[in-house]
Order: sequence, then C-alpha cells, then structure tokens
Amino acid sequence: MTGPDYLAALLLLAGALFFLAGTLGLLRFPDVYTRLHALTKADNVGLGLIVLGLSLQSGSWLVAGKLILIWLLVLLAGASVSHLIARGARLRGIPEWRR
Amino acid sequence: MQSRNPLRAALPLPRLLAFALVWWLISEGAAASWSIGVPAVLLASWLSARLLPPQRLTPSGLLRFLGFFLLHSLLGAVDVAQRAFRPARPLNPGMIDYSLQLGPGLPRVFMLNVVSLLPGTLSADLEADCLRVHVLDADQDNPAQLAQLEARVAGLFGLTLP
Repeated sequence: MTGPDYLAALLLLAGALFFLAGTLGLLRFPDVYTRLHALTKADNVGLGLIVLGLSLQSGSWLVAGKLILIWLLVLLAGASVSHLIARGARLRGIPEWRR
Repeated sequence: MQSRNPLRAALPLPRLLAFALVWWLISEGAAASWSIGVPAVLLASWLSARLLPPQRLTPSGLLRFLGFFLLHSLLGAVDVAQRAFRPARPLNPGMIDYSLQLGPGLPRVFMLNVVSLLPGTLSADLEADCLRVHVLDADQDNPAQLAQLEARVAGLFGLTLP
C-alpha cells in the first residue's frame, strides 16, 4: 500500500464510524425528531468521507466528480426528506421528547 | 440583470456549462455519448431557465459558502455522533420559532435544507415566514446561529437582508 492508499483507508474507516454513529443514534435517541438529527448529519458526513476515500482510490478525476455529484444529490434528498418527515410527524401531532 | 439577447435568456451560459459538466461526469467522458448529451444539455438548460430564473451566484461566493458548509456539517456530525456514543446520551431538545428574513423562493428553500445539515438544528415546519426548528440542545444560542446562517445564505445569493 502507498500513501494515498493509507489515506483512502483512513477516510473509509472514518466514514464507517459516522455511519455507525448515525445508526446508533437512530436506535438510541428517544423520538422521531432527534433520530432525524442523527441520520441527516452523521450519515451525510459518513457518505462524504467514503466518497472522498473512493475518489482517491479511483485515481480518476471523472470518477471522483461523479462520486461527488452522487454525494450532493444524497445531501439534497436527505435534507428534503428529513424536513418532510419532521413536518409529517408534527401534522400527526407526534409530541417531542423533553428531558 | 436580465439579458436582452433572447437566445441568451432562453439558454443562459452558466446553466449550459453546469449541465454539460454533469453530462460529462455521468457519461464518464465517453465521446460517443454527446450525440444524446448535446440535446439533453440544451433541453435541461432551457427547462431550468424557464422554471428558475438566473440567480446571482458568484464562484467566489460559492467557494466561501462551501468552506463554511463543509466545516460546519463536519462539526454537526461530530456533535450528534458523540451524543449517540456517550452512555449518558446527552440530549436537551426543544422546538424554537425563527422568523425568516429571506423572502420566498430558492434562497429560502436552500436555507431550509442547510439548517437540517448544520449542528444541532433540524427544520421541522414552515408557516408563512416562521421557520420551526427542532434543536438538540435548547441551552445553546440557536437563534444567533440561525441568523448567522441566514446572513451567509443571503450573501451566497447576492441578497442583502432588511
């Protein structure tokens, strides 16, 4: 393995750690709103790091650009869908968890 | 500023370049694909210019916002990750109302989406000019953070807030 390979492996591991955090939040957080926080933020950064790692591994600007394009579309979809789920939950009168 | 040239108005150059870049990326540079790509890029540019009038985005403004966005989404992810990992699960959520100064349209939709990606805030509902934001830590100065973000979004779109 060369330098960029190690960096790519580090980025992929860090990305997986954020996915783990997002999933842990989904399971541990108390209500729909807090769970959405975990999913939108941790998973988007996790995917971003994995996209970075894979871009490094691909060794091609075109493939890297395509991966980044995919990441941007996932960001857009994630943010929009989480807003719609939170709005839907409010319309159904689902209360927020309070400490 | 609206272009006087009707061709330029129907097919703005920034859109043509952006869609050509997207086509180039998804076809991974295959030269033969441009026989479909050129009509697709023209159609997409024309349709997008009809649906969304040209915005006053500048490359330097985009870069500045990108830096801010990348840093703060990383901070947001680290923040939520440590709340998920820590055994005590430290959460102090709340719902706050924030009155938006950005008018309806793309900048407001953009703001709504970015709020959900930045630390501790989730845009939960929008009624008239009032954005309802779910926050992970009600003790933080969330309105100040939202105001700072709104100013940055306004800057990105070349707007000045009242």
